[in-house]
Amino acid sequence: MALELPLGRVQRWMQDVVVHPGPVDEAIAAAAGQLPPERLPEVVLPSRSLAPSERVGIYQGMYLLRMEEALESDYPALKRFLGPRGFRALVRDYVASFPSRSYTLNRLGDHLPEFVLRAGGLRHRAFGHDLARLELALTQVFDEAETPPIRPEAVAAVPEDQWPSARLRPIAAFRLLALRHPVNAYLETLRDKRRRRPRVHRKDGWVVVFRRDYSVYRLELSRAAHGLLSELAAGRPLGAAVTAAVRQHGRRAASETALYRWFRQWMASGMFRAVDLGLEGLEPSANRL
Amino acid sequence: MNRWSLPDLGIGVGLRTVHFGHILSRRPAVDWFEVLSENFMDTGGRPLWVLDQVAERYPVALHGVSMSIGGTDPLDREYLRKLKALAARTRAHWVSDHLCWTGVAGRNVHDLLPMPYTEEALRHTAARVRQVSEILERPLVLENPSSYVEFAASTMSEWEFLSRLAEEADCGLLLDVNNVYVSSFNHAFDPNVYVDNVPADRVVQYHVAGHTHKGSHILDSHSDHAVAEVWELFRRSCRRTGNVATLYEWDEDIPDFEVLHAEALKARAYRDEQPAPERMARGA
Repeated sequence: MALELPLGRVQRWMQDVVVHPGPVDEAIAAAAGQLPPERLPEVVLPSRSLAPSERVGIYQGMYLLRMEEALESDYPALKRFLGPRGFRALVRDYVASFPSRSYTLNRLGDHLPEFVLRAGGLRHRAFGHDLARLELALTQVFDEAETPPIRPEAVAAVPEDQWPSARLRPIAAFRLLALRHPVNAYLETLRDKRRRRPRVHRKDGWVVVFRRDYSVYRLELSRAAHGLLSELAAGRPLGAAVTAAVRQHGRRAASETALYRWFRQWMASGMFRAVDLGLEGLEPSANRL
Repeated sequence: MNRWSLPDLGIGVGLRTVHFGHILSRRPAVDWFEVLSENFMDTGGRPLWVLDQVAERYPVALHGVSMSIGGTDPLDREYLRKLKALAARTRAHWVSDHLCWTGVAGRNVHDLLPMPYTEEALRHTAARVRQVSEILERPLVLENPSSYVEFAASTMSEWEFLSRLAEEADCGLLLDVNNVYVSSFNHAFDPNVYVDNVPADRVVQYHVAGHTHKGSHILDSHSDHAVAEVWELFRRSCRRTGNVATLYEWDEDIPDFEVLHAEALKARAYRDEQPAPERMARGA
Protein backbone atom coordinates (compact mmCIF):
# COMPACT_ATOMS: atom_id res chain seq x y z
CA MET A 1 0.00 0.00 0.00
CA ALA A 2 1.48 3.33 -1.03
CA LEU A 3 1.50 6.28 1.32
CA GLU A 4 0.67 9.35 -0.71
CA LEU A 5 2.57 12.34 0.57
CA PRO A 6 2.54 15.76 -1.06
CA LEU A 7 5.53 16.21 -3.37
CA GLY A 8 7.07 18.90 -1.16
CA ARG A 9 6.96 16.68 1.89
CA VAL A 10 8.53 13.74 0.08
CA GLN A 11 11.35 15.99 -1.04
CA ARG A 12 11.84 17.53 2.39
CA TRP A 13 12.00 14.06 3.95
CA MET A 14 14.42 12.73 1.38
CA GLN A 15 16.68 15.76 1.68
CA ASP A 16 16.75 15.46 5.47
CA VAL A 17 17.86 11.84 5.11
CA VAL A 18 20.41 12.52 2.36
CA VAL A 19 22.24 15.31 4.21
CA HIS A 20 22.33 13.52 7.57
CA PRO A 21 25.98 12.80 8.46
CA GLY A 22 25.38 9.52 10.32
CA PRO A 23 24.48 5.99 9.15
CA VAL A 24 21.38 5.79 6.98
CA ASP A 25 19.25 4.14 9.66
CA GLU A 26 20.03 7.03 12.01
CA ALA A 27 19.24 9.45 9.20
CA ILE A 28 15.85 7.84 8.59
CA ALA A 29 15.12 7.86 12.32
CA ALA A 30 16.11 11.52 12.58
CA ALA A 31 13.64 12.39 9.80
CA ALA A 32 10.76 10.69 11.64
CA GLY A 33 8.92 14.00 11.81
CA GLN A 34 8.51 13.88 8.03
CA LEU A 35 8.04 10.12 7.75
CA PRO A 36 7.90 7.54 10.57
CA PRO A 37 10.63 4.94 9.80
CA GLU A 38 8.21 2.03 9.98
CA ARG A 39 6.26 3.55 7.09
CA LEU A 40 9.29 3.82 4.79
CA PRO A 41 8.27 0.77 2.68
CA GLU A 42 5.02 2.59 1.90
CA VAL A 43 7.03 5.39 0.28
CA VAL A 44 10.14 3.71 -1.17
CA LEU A 45 9.94 0.30 -2.82
CA PRO A 46 12.57 -2.38 -2.28
CA SER A 47 14.54 -3.60 -5.29
CA ARG A 48 15.49 -7.22 -6.05
CA SER A 49 18.50 -6.89 -3.81
CA LEU A 50 18.17 -3.72 -1.75
CA ALA A 51 15.84 -2.72 1.06
CA PRO A 52 14.20 0.73 0.86
CA SER A 53 16.66 2.16 3.38
CA GLU A 54 19.63 0.82 1.40
CA ARG A 55 18.30 2.45 -1.77
CA VAL A 56 17.97 5.85 -0.09
CA GLY A 57 21.36 5.17 1.47
CA ILE A 58 23.00 5.26 -1.98
CA TYR A 59 22.11 8.95 -2.27
CA GLN A 60 22.98 9.61 1.36
CA GLY A 61 26.39 7.96 1.05
CA MET A 62 27.29 10.08 -1.96
CA TYR A 63 26.36 13.44 -0.43
CA LEU A 64 29.35 13.95 1.86
CA LEU A 65 31.73 12.47 -0.70
CA ARG A 66 30.54 15.06 -3.20
CA MET A 67 30.90 17.90 -0.70
CA GLU A 68 34.37 16.71 0.23
CA GLU A 69 35.42 16.47 -3.39
CA ALA A 70 34.20 20.01 -4.05
CA LEU A 71 35.97 21.47 -1.02
CA GLU A 72 39.14 19.50 -1.65
CA SER A 73 39.44 21.04 -5.09
CA ASP A 74 39.46 24.51 -3.48
CA TYR A 75 41.42 23.61 -0.34
CA PRO A 76 44.03 20.97 -1.29
CA ALA A 77 46.64 22.36 1.13
CA LEU A 78 44.19 22.46 4.00
CA LYS A 79 43.35 18.82 3.34
CA ARG A 80 47.01 17.96 3.39
CA PHE A 81 47.48 19.92 6.60
CA LEU A 82 44.57 18.24 8.40
CA GLY A 83 45.05 14.79 6.88
CA PRO A 84 42.25 12.86 5.09
CA ARG A 85 40.36 11.97 8.27
CA GLY A 86 40.64 15.42 9.77
CA PHE A 87 39.53 17.04 6.54
CA ARG A 88 36.57 14.67 6.18
CA ALA A 89 35.45 15.48 9.71
CA LEU A 90 35.80 19.20 9.02
CA VAL A 91 33.74 18.90 5.82
CA ARG A 92 31.03 16.96 7.65
CA ASP A 93 30.71 19.64 10.32
CA TYR A 94 31.12 22.53 7.89
CA VAL A 95 28.36 21.55 5.46
CA ALA A 96 26.03 21.01 8.41
CA SER A 97 26.58 24.68 9.34
CA PHE A 98 27.05 26.10 5.84
CA PRO A 99 25.16 23.89 3.36
CA SER A 100 25.17 24.86 -0.28
CA ARG A 101 22.42 27.31 -1.09
CA SER A 102 23.60 28.04 -4.58
CA TYR A 103 23.31 26.43 -7.99
CA THR A 104 27.10 26.26 -8.07
CA LEU A 105 29.58 24.41 -5.85
CA ASN A 106 32.20 27.04 -6.66
CA ARG A 107 31.34 29.11 -3.61
CA LEU A 108 30.61 26.25 -1.20
CA GLY A 109 33.84 26.95 0.67
CA ASP A 110 33.42 30.69 1.12
CA HIS A 111 32.89 30.37 4.89
CA LEU A 112 35.48 27.68 5.51
CA PRO A 113 38.25 29.97 6.85
CA GLU A 114 35.99 31.44 9.55
CA PHE A 115 34.68 27.95 10.31
CA VAL A 116 38.20 26.55 10.77
CA LEU A 117 38.90 29.27 13.31
CA ARG A 118 36.06 28.13 15.55
CA ALA A 119 36.01 24.41 14.74
CA GLY A 120 36.45 22.16 17.75
CA GLY A 121 39.16 19.52 17.96
CA LEU A 122 41.55 21.05 15.45
CA ARG A 123 45.23 21.28 16.26
CA HIS A 124 47.04 24.42 15.08
CA ARG A 125 43.72 26.02 14.31
CA ALA A 126 45.19 29.48 13.66
CA PHE A 127 47.59 28.04 11.08
CA GLY A 128 44.71 26.22 9.37
CA HIS A 129 42.72 29.46 9.37
CA ASP A 130 45.51 31.35 7.59
CA LEU A 131 45.99 28.50 5.12
CA ALA A 132 42.27 28.47 4.33
CA ARG A 133 42.26 32.28 3.90
CA LEU A 134 45.05 32.03 1.36
CA GLU A 135 43.37 29.20 -0.56
CA LEU A 136 40.06 31.07 -0.57
CA ALA A 137 41.82 34.13 -2.00
CA LEU A 138 43.23 31.93 -4.78
CA THR A 139 39.80 30.63 -5.78
CA GLN A 140 38.28 34.11 -5.63
CA VAL A 141 41.01 35.53 -7.84
CA PHE A 142 40.67 32.59 -10.22
CA ASP A 143 36.97 33.31 -10.76
CA GLU A 144 36.92 37.12 -10.60
CA ALA A 145 35.78 39.19 -13.55
CA GLU A 146 38.47 39.99 -16.07
CA THR A 147 39.55 43.64 -15.90
CA PRO A 148 42.44 44.37 -18.27
CA PRO A 149 45.50 45.96 -16.61
CA ILE A 150 46.46 49.50 -17.45
CA ARG A 151 48.65 49.79 -20.54
CA PRO A 152 52.25 51.03 -20.09
CA GLU A 153 51.62 53.96 -22.43
CA ALA A 154 48.73 55.11 -20.23
CA VAL A 155 51.05 55.07 -17.22
CA ALA A 156 53.72 56.93 -19.16
CA ALA A 157 51.18 59.56 -20.15
CA VAL A 158 50.51 60.63 -16.54
CA PRO A 159 52.18 64.03 -15.98
CA GLU A 160 54.84 63.83 -13.28
CA ASP A 161 53.22 66.50 -11.13
CA GLN A 162 49.94 64.55 -11.15
CA TRP A 163 51.32 61.41 -9.54
CA PRO A 164 50.97 62.52 -5.88
CA SER A 165 47.22 62.98 -6.33
CA ALA A 166 46.76 59.96 -8.60
CA ARG A 167 44.73 57.01 -7.34
CA LEU A 168 45.53 53.55 -8.59
CA ARG A 169 42.62 51.20 -9.10
CA PRO A 170 43.49 47.52 -8.72
CA ILE A 171 42.17 44.88 -11.07
CA ALA A 172 39.20 42.85 -9.80
CA ALA A 173 41.29 39.68 -9.51
CA PHE A 174 43.41 41.09 -6.67
CA ARG A 175 43.54 40.13 -2.99
CA LEU A 176 45.90 41.28 -0.23
CA LEU A 177 46.49 39.20 2.85
CA ALA A 178 48.28 39.80 6.12
CA LEU A 179 49.04 36.42 7.64
CA ARG A 180 50.37 35.26 10.98
CA HIS A 181 51.83 31.98 9.75
CA PRO A 182 54.07 30.97 6.82
CA VAL A 183 51.22 29.40 4.88
CA ASN A 184 52.47 30.58 1.51
CA ALA A 185 55.52 28.38 2.02
CA TYR A 186 53.23 25.56 3.10
CA LEU A 187 51.24 25.92 -0.11
CA GLU A 188 54.46 25.51 -2.07
CA THR A 189 54.91 22.07 -0.56
CA LEU A 190 51.89 20.77 -2.48
CA ARG A 191 54.29 20.44 -5.40
CA ASP A 192 56.89 18.66 -3.27
CA LYS A 193 56.91 15.06 -4.41
CA ARG A 194 58.74 14.01 -1.25
CA ARG A 195 55.73 15.30 0.72
CA ARG A 196 57.89 17.36 3.07
CA ARG A 197 55.92 19.70 5.26
CA PRO A 198 57.36 22.88 6.74
CA ARG A 199 57.24 23.31 10.49
CA VAL A 200 54.00 24.82 11.76
CA HIS A 201 55.01 27.94 13.57
CA ARG A 202 54.11 31.54 14.09
CA LYS A 203 55.63 34.00 11.63
CA ASP A 204 54.07 37.11 10.14
CA GLY A 205 53.83 37.23 6.37
CA TRP A 206 52.19 39.31 3.66
CA VAL A 207 51.00 38.12 0.30
CA VAL A 208 49.28 39.59 -2.73
CA VAL A 209 47.28 37.22 -4.94
CA PHE A 210 46.45 38.44 -8.42
CA ARG A 211 45.68 37.20 -11.91
CA ARG A 212 47.50 37.98 -15.10
CA ASP A 213 46.65 36.51 -18.51
CA TYR A 214 44.24 34.12 -16.75
CA SER A 215 46.95 32.67 -14.51
CA VAL A 216 46.88 33.20 -10.73
CA TYR A 217 50.04 34.42 -8.99
CA ARG A 218 51.13 34.74 -5.37
CA LEU A 219 53.74 37.30 -4.46
CA GLU A 220 55.24 37.59 -0.99
CA LEU A 221 55.57 41.17 0.25
CA SER A 222 57.41 42.92 3.03
CA ARG A 223 55.30 44.47 5.75
CA ALA A 224 56.01 47.94 4.35
CA ALA A 225 55.14 46.93 0.79
CA HIS A 226 51.91 45.36 2.01
CA GLY A 227 51.10 48.55 3.91
CA LEU A 228 51.60 50.72 0.86
CA LEU A 229 49.74 48.39 -1.46
CA SER A 230 46.85 48.27 1.00
CA GLU A 231 46.64 52.05 1.06
CA LEU A 232 46.67 52.21 -2.72
CA ALA A 233 44.09 49.45 -3.09
CA ALA A 234 41.86 51.32 -0.65
CA GLY A 235 41.86 54.29 -3.01
CA ARG A 236 44.23 56.62 -1.20
CA PRO A 237 46.16 59.01 -3.52
CA LEU A 238 49.71 57.87 -4.19
CA GLY A 239 51.36 60.76 -2.33
CA ALA A 240 49.22 60.30 0.77
CA ALA A 241 49.68 56.51 0.64
CA VAL A 242 53.46 56.86 0.59
CA THR A 243 53.35 59.39 3.44
CA ALA A 244 51.11 57.08 5.49
CA ALA A 245 53.38 54.10 4.82
CA VAL A 246 56.47 56.07 5.87
CA ARG A 247 54.74 57.34 9.00
CA GLN A 248 53.55 53.85 9.91
CA HIS A 249 56.87 52.12 9.51
CA GLY A 250 59.17 54.88 10.79
CA ARG A 251 62.80 53.90 10.54
CA ARG A 252 61.84 50.66 8.84
CA ALA A 253 60.04 52.51 6.09
CA ALA A 254 61.06 51.77 2.54
CA SER A 255 63.70 53.85 0.81
CA GLU A 256 62.82 55.86 -2.27
CA THR A 257 64.63 53.22 -4.36
CA ALA A 258 62.57 50.42 -2.86
CA LEU A 259 59.34 52.34 -3.44
CA TYR A 260 60.24 52.86 -7.05
CA ARG A 261 61.15 49.19 -7.47
CA TRP A 262 57.87 48.02 -5.95
CA PHE A 263 55.82 50.41 -7.95
CA ARG A 264 57.46 49.30 -11.16
CA GLN A 265 56.98 45.61 -10.27
CA TRP A 266 53.32 46.08 -9.38
CA MET A 267 52.64 47.94 -12.58
CA ALA A 268 54.52 45.39 -14.68
CA SER A 269 52.63 42.57 -12.96
CA GLY A 270 49.34 44.06 -14.10
CA MET A 271 47.89 44.62 -10.63
CA PHE A 272 46.25 47.93 -11.57
CA ARG A 273 43.63 48.63 -14.13
CA ALA A 274 43.50 52.43 -14.06
CA VAL A 275 45.07 55.62 -12.77
CA ASP A 276 42.50 58.18 -11.72
CA LEU A 277 43.78 61.72 -11.72
CA GLY A 278 42.51 64.28 -9.25
CA LEU A 279 39.12 62.71 -8.61
CA GLU A 280 37.83 63.53 -5.17
CA GLY A 281 35.45 61.21 -3.38
CA LEU A 282 36.47 58.14 -5.31
CA GLU A 283 35.08 55.07 -3.65
CA PRO A 284 37.76 52.93 -2.11
CA SER A 285 38.26 49.51 -3.59
CA ALA A 286 36.52 46.67 -1.80
CA ASN A 287 39.31 44.25 -2.59
CA ARG A 288 41.35 44.63 0.55
CA LEU A 289 41.41 41.56 2.79
CA MET B 1 14.32 15.16 -37.68
CA ASN B 2 12.97 16.52 -34.42
CA ARG B 3 9.94 18.78 -34.42
CA TRP B 4 11.95 21.95 -33.86
CA SER B 5 14.42 21.16 -36.64
CA LEU B 6 17.24 21.41 -34.13
CA PRO B 7 20.32 20.20 -35.98
CA ASP B 8 22.11 16.90 -35.70
CA LEU B 9 25.41 18.28 -34.45
CA GLY B 10 27.16 14.95 -34.96
CA ILE B 11 29.30 13.29 -32.29
CA GLY B 12 30.56 15.44 -29.45
CA VAL B 13 32.20 15.26 -26.06
CA GLY B 14 31.91 17.24 -22.85
CA LEU B 15 34.19 20.24 -22.39
CA ARG B 16 36.29 19.40 -19.32
CA THR B 17 39.03 21.38 -17.58
CA VAL B 18 41.64 18.65 -17.97
CA HIS B 19 41.33 18.92 -21.75
CA PHE B 20 41.45 22.72 -22.06
CA GLY B 21 45.11 22.80 -23.10
CA HIS B 22 44.70 19.99 -25.64
CA ILE B 23 41.62 21.53 -27.22
CA LEU B 24 43.14 24.99 -27.58
CA SER B 25 46.48 23.80 -28.89
CA ARG B 26 45.40 20.88 -31.11
CA ARG B 27 41.94 22.02 -32.20
CA PRO B 28 40.73 18.40 -32.43
CA ALA B 29 38.22 17.46 -35.12
CA VAL B 30 35.29 17.11 -32.75
CA ASP B 31 31.83 17.84 -34.14
CA TRP B 32 30.62 19.73 -31.07
CA PHE B 33 31.04 20.27 -27.33
CA GLU B 34 28.58 19.98 -24.49
CA VAL B 35 29.22 22.56 -21.77
CA LEU B 36 28.25 22.15 -18.11
CA SER B 37 26.41 25.43 -17.62
CA GLU B 38 27.10 25.91 -13.90
CA ASN B 39 30.86 25.65 -14.42
CA PHE B 40 30.86 28.82 -16.47
CA MET B 41 28.06 30.98 -15.08
CA ASP B 42 30.00 32.54 -12.21
CA THR B 43 33.52 32.85 -13.42
CA GLY B 44 35.28 35.59 -15.29
CA GLY B 45 38.55 33.70 -15.35
CA ARG B 46 40.24 31.15 -17.55
CA PRO B 47 37.27 28.74 -17.86
CA LEU B 48 35.12 31.45 -19.46
CA TRP B 49 37.98 32.57 -21.69
CA VAL B 50 38.47 28.97 -22.86
CA LEU B 51 34.74 28.58 -23.43
CA ASP B 52 34.73 31.70 -25.60
CA GLN B 53 37.52 30.21 -27.74
CA VAL B 54 35.71 26.89 -28.02
CA ALA B 55 32.37 28.50 -28.88
CA GLU B 56 34.12 30.47 -31.65
CA ARG B 57 35.28 27.28 -33.33
CA TYR B 58 32.76 24.58 -32.44
CA PRO B 59 29.00 24.22 -32.05
CA VAL B 60 28.00 24.17 -28.40
CA ALA B 61 25.02 22.98 -26.34
CA LEU B 62 24.53 23.81 -22.65
CA HIS B 63 23.81 21.09 -20.13
CA GLY B 64 22.88 21.92 -16.54
CA VAL B 65 22.61 20.09 -13.25
CA SER B 66 21.00 22.65 -10.94
CA MET B 67 17.73 23.79 -12.47
CA SER B 68 15.78 21.50 -10.12
CA ILE B 69 12.89 21.40 -12.54
CA GLY B 70 11.01 18.92 -10.34
CA GLY B 71 11.73 20.77 -7.11
CA THR B 72 9.11 22.41 -4.96
CA ASP B 73 11.10 25.57 -4.20
CA PRO B 74 10.38 28.50 -6.53
CA LEU B 75 12.43 28.56 -9.72
CA ASP B 76 15.69 30.43 -9.28
CA ARG B 77 15.22 33.47 -11.53
CA GLU B 78 18.80 34.65 -11.11
CA TYR B 79 20.07 31.26 -12.21
CA LEU B 80 17.82 31.32 -15.26
CA ARG B 81 18.91 34.86 -16.14
CA LYS B 82 22.56 33.81 -16.07
CA LEU B 83 21.80 30.62 -17.99
CA LYS B 84 20.08 32.58 -20.71
CA ALA B 85 23.01 34.99 -20.92
CA LEU B 86 25.48 32.11 -21.20
CA ALA B 87 23.39 30.51 -23.94
CA ALA B 88 23.43 33.78 -25.87
CA ARG B 89 27.17 34.27 -25.31
CA THR B 90 28.02 30.78 -26.63
CA ARG B 91 25.29 30.71 -29.30
CA ALA B 92 24.21 27.40 -27.76
CA HIS B 93 22.02 25.25 -29.98
CA TRP B 94 19.93 24.21 -26.99
CA VAL B 95 19.84 24.19 -23.21
CA SER B 96 19.24 20.97 -21.31
CA ASP B 97 18.89 19.81 -17.72
CA HIS B 98 17.57 16.75 -15.90
CA LEU B 99 14.18 15.45 -14.89
CA CYS B 100 14.90 15.62 -11.17
CA TRP B 101 15.07 17.90 -8.17
CA THR B 102 18.28 19.01 -6.48
CA GLY B 103 17.16 20.43 -3.15
CA VAL B 104 14.40 22.13 -1.19
CA ALA B 105 14.06 24.76 1.53
CA GLY B 106 16.77 26.85 -0.10
CA ARG B 107 19.38 24.11 -0.09
CA ASN B 108 21.12 22.41 -2.96
CA VAL B 109 22.47 18.92 -2.36
CA HIS B 110 24.00 18.89 -5.86
CA ASP B 111 22.57 15.52 -6.78
CA LEU B 112 19.96 14.53 -9.34
CA LEU B 113 17.30 13.32 -6.94
CA PRO B 114 14.43 11.13 -8.15
CA MET B 115 10.80 12.12 -8.58
CA PRO B 116 7.70 10.09 -7.77
CA TYR B 117 5.90 9.67 -11.09
CA THR B 118 2.44 10.88 -10.10
CA GLU B 119 -0.20 13.14 -11.64
CA GLU B 120 0.67 15.79 -9.05
CA ALA B 121 4.36 15.68 -9.96
CA LEU B 122 3.52 15.76 -13.66
CA ARG B 123 1.32 18.88 -13.35
CA HIS B 124 3.88 20.57 -11.13
CA THR B 125 6.85 19.82 -13.39
CA ALA B 126 5.05 20.63 -16.64
CA ALA B 127 4.11 24.08 -15.33
CA ARG B 128 7.73 24.76 -14.41
CA VAL B 129 9.06 23.53 -17.74
CA ARG B 130 6.69 25.91 -19.53
CA GLN B 131 7.88 28.76 -17.33
CA VAL B 132 11.54 27.99 -17.99
CA SER B 133 11.02 27.69 -21.74
CA GLU B 134 9.30 31.06 -21.70
CA ILE B 135 12.15 32.67 -19.78
CA LEU B 136 14.83 31.09 -21.95
CA GLU B 137 12.79 31.84 -25.09
CA ARG B 138 13.49 28.35 -26.40
CA PRO B 139 12.18 24.87 -25.64
CA LEU B 140 13.90 23.36 -22.62
CA VAL B 141 15.45 19.96 -23.29
CA LEU B 142 15.15 17.43 -20.45
CA GLU B 143 17.26 14.37 -19.79
CA ASN B 144 15.96 11.14 -18.30
CA PRO B 145 17.83 10.58 -15.02
CA SER B 146 19.42 7.45 -13.66
CA SER B 147 17.96 6.56 -10.27
CA TYR B 148 18.35 4.24 -7.33
CA VAL B 149 14.98 4.78 -5.63
CA GLU B 150 11.47 3.94 -6.82
CA PHE B 151 8.51 5.54 -5.10
CA ALA B 152 5.52 3.42 -4.11
CA ALA B 153 3.22 6.33 -4.96
CA SER B 154 4.24 6.34 -8.66
CA THR B 155 1.26 5.69 -10.90
CA MET B 156 3.16 5.55 -14.20
CA SER B 157 6.50 4.43 -15.54
CA GLU B 158 9.32 6.91 -16.07
CA TRP B 159 8.97 6.78 -19.85
CA GLU B 160 5.25 7.46 -19.59
CA PHE B 161 5.94 10.38 -17.26
CA LEU B 162 8.65 11.75 -19.51
CA SER B 163 6.52 11.34 -22.65
CA ARG B 164 3.49 13.03 -21.11
CA LEU B 165 5.67 15.78 -19.69
CA ALA B 166 7.25 16.41 -23.08
CA GLU B 167 3.83 16.64 -24.73
CA GLU B 168 2.16 18.75 -22.04
CA ALA B 169 5.07 21.16 -21.59
CA ASP B 170 6.24 21.01 -25.21
CA CYS B 171 9.85 20.31 -24.36
CA GLY B 172 12.65 18.40 -26.05
CA LEU B 173 14.29 15.25 -24.75
CA LEU B 174 17.88 14.33 -24.17
CA LEU B 175 17.77 10.56 -24.13
CA ASP B 176 20.58 9.11 -22.04
CA VAL B 177 20.70 5.47 -23.03
CA ASN B 178 23.14 4.65 -20.24
CA ASN B 179 20.70 6.09 -17.73
CA VAL B 180 17.95 3.96 -19.22
CA TYR B 181 20.17 0.91 -18.83
CA VAL B 182 21.23 1.81 -15.27
CA SER B 183 17.66 2.41 -14.12
CA SER B 184 16.39 -0.69 -15.91
CA PHE B 185 18.76 -2.80 -13.82
CA ASN B 186 18.06 -0.92 -10.60
CA HIS B 187 14.27 -1.03 -11.05
CA ALA B 188 13.97 -4.26 -13.07
CA PHE B 189 12.25 -3.03 -16.21
CA ASP B 190 12.92 -3.74 -19.88
CA PRO B 191 15.11 -0.94 -21.29
CA ASN B 192 13.90 -1.68 -24.82
CA VAL B 193 10.36 -0.80 -23.82
CA TYR B 194 11.66 2.52 -22.50
CA VAL B 195 13.48 3.58 -25.66
CA ASP B 196 10.64 2.29 -27.85
CA ASN B 197 8.12 4.48 -26.10
CA VAL B 198 9.63 7.95 -25.79
CA PRO B 199 8.35 10.34 -28.47
CA ALA B 200 11.01 10.04 -31.17
CA ASP B 201 10.39 13.44 -32.70
CA ARG B 202 11.19 15.15 -29.40
CA VAL B 203 14.60 13.57 -28.97
CA VAL B 204 17.17 16.22 -29.86
CA GLN B 205 20.24 14.70 -28.21
CA TYR B 206 21.69 11.43 -26.93
CA HIS B 207 24.02 10.72 -24.06
CA VAL B 208 26.11 7.58 -24.01
CA ALA B 209 28.33 6.78 -21.01
CA GLY B 210 29.95 4.14 -18.86
CA HIS B 211 28.78 3.03 -15.44
CA THR B 212 29.90 1.04 -12.40
CA HIS B 213 28.25 -2.27 -11.59
CA LYS B 214 28.10 -2.75 -7.83
CA GLY B 215 26.39 -6.13 -7.93
CA SER B 216 23.25 -5.08 -6.08
CA HIS B 217 22.82 -1.97 -8.21
CA ILE B 218 24.49 0.04 -10.97
CA LEU B 219 25.93 3.49 -10.36
CA ASP B 220 25.83 6.07 -13.11
CA SER B 221 29.47 6.97 -12.65
CA HIS B 222 30.47 8.20 -16.14
CA SER B 223 33.82 6.60 -15.41
CA ASP B 224 34.41 4.08 -18.12
CA HIS B 225 33.76 2.81 -21.61
CA ALA B 226 30.12 2.07 -22.40
CA VAL B 227 29.09 -1.58 -22.23
CA ALA B 228 27.78 -3.37 -25.33
CA GLU B 229 24.20 -3.37 -23.99
CA VAL B 230 24.22 0.43 -23.82
CA TRP B 231 25.47 0.71 -27.40
CA GLU B 232 22.73 -1.70 -28.46
CA LEU B 233 20.14 0.51 -26.81
CA PHE B 234 21.61 3.45 -28.67
CA ARG B 235 21.39 1.53 -31.95
CA ARG B 236 17.78 0.58 -31.26
CA SER B 237 16.78 4.11 -30.40
CA CYS B 238 18.60 5.68 -33.35
CA ARG B 239 16.47 3.54 -35.65
CA ARG B 240 13.45 5.42 -34.34
CA THR B 241 14.84 8.92 -34.05
CA GLY B 242 17.23 9.10 -36.95
CA ASN B 243 20.63 10.70 -36.48
CA VAL B 244 20.53 12.99 -33.49
CA ALA B 245 23.35 14.94 -31.82
CA THR B 246 25.28 12.41 -29.73
CA LEU B 247 27.51 13.06 -26.75
CA TYR B 248 29.82 10.74 -24.87
CA GLU B 249 30.00 11.54 -21.13
CA TRP B 250 33.11 10.77 -19.11
CA ASP B 251 33.40 12.63 -15.81
CA GLU B 252 35.35 10.41 -13.40
CA ASP B 253 38.93 9.26 -14.03
CA ILE B 254 38.79 11.26 -17.24
CA PRO B 255 41.18 9.80 -19.82
CA ASP B 256 43.31 11.61 -22.39
CA PHE B 257 41.30 13.48 -24.95
CA GLU B 258 42.10 11.01 -27.74
CA VAL B 259 40.75 8.09 -25.68
CA LEU B 260 37.56 9.97 -24.91
CA HIS B 261 37.08 11.04 -28.50
CA ALA B 262 37.71 7.53 -29.78
CA GLU B 263 35.04 6.20 -27.42
CA ALA B 264 32.60 8.84 -28.64
CA LEU B 265 33.33 8.02 -32.27
CA LYS B 266 32.13 4.45 -31.72
CA ALA B 267 28.69 6.02 -32.02
CA ARG B 268 29.34 6.50 -35.72
CA ALA B 269 28.70 2.84 -36.52
CA TYR B 270 25.34 2.82 -34.74
CA ARG B 271 24.17 6.18 -36.04
CA ASP B 272 24.89 5.29 -39.64
CA GLU B 273 22.73 2.20 -39.41
CA GLN B 274 19.51 4.07 -38.88
CA PRO B 275 17.03 4.39 -41.77
CA ALA B 276 16.69 7.58 -43.78
CA PRO B 277 14.54 10.20 -42.02
CA GLU B 278 11.84 10.22 -44.72
CA ARG B 279 11.07 6.58 -43.91
CA MET B 280 10.48 7.31 -40.25
CA ALA B 281 7.02 7.89 -38.94
CA ARG B 282 6.89 11.31 -37.30
CA GLY B 283 6.31 10.96 -33.59
CA ALA B 284 6.49 7.17 -33.76
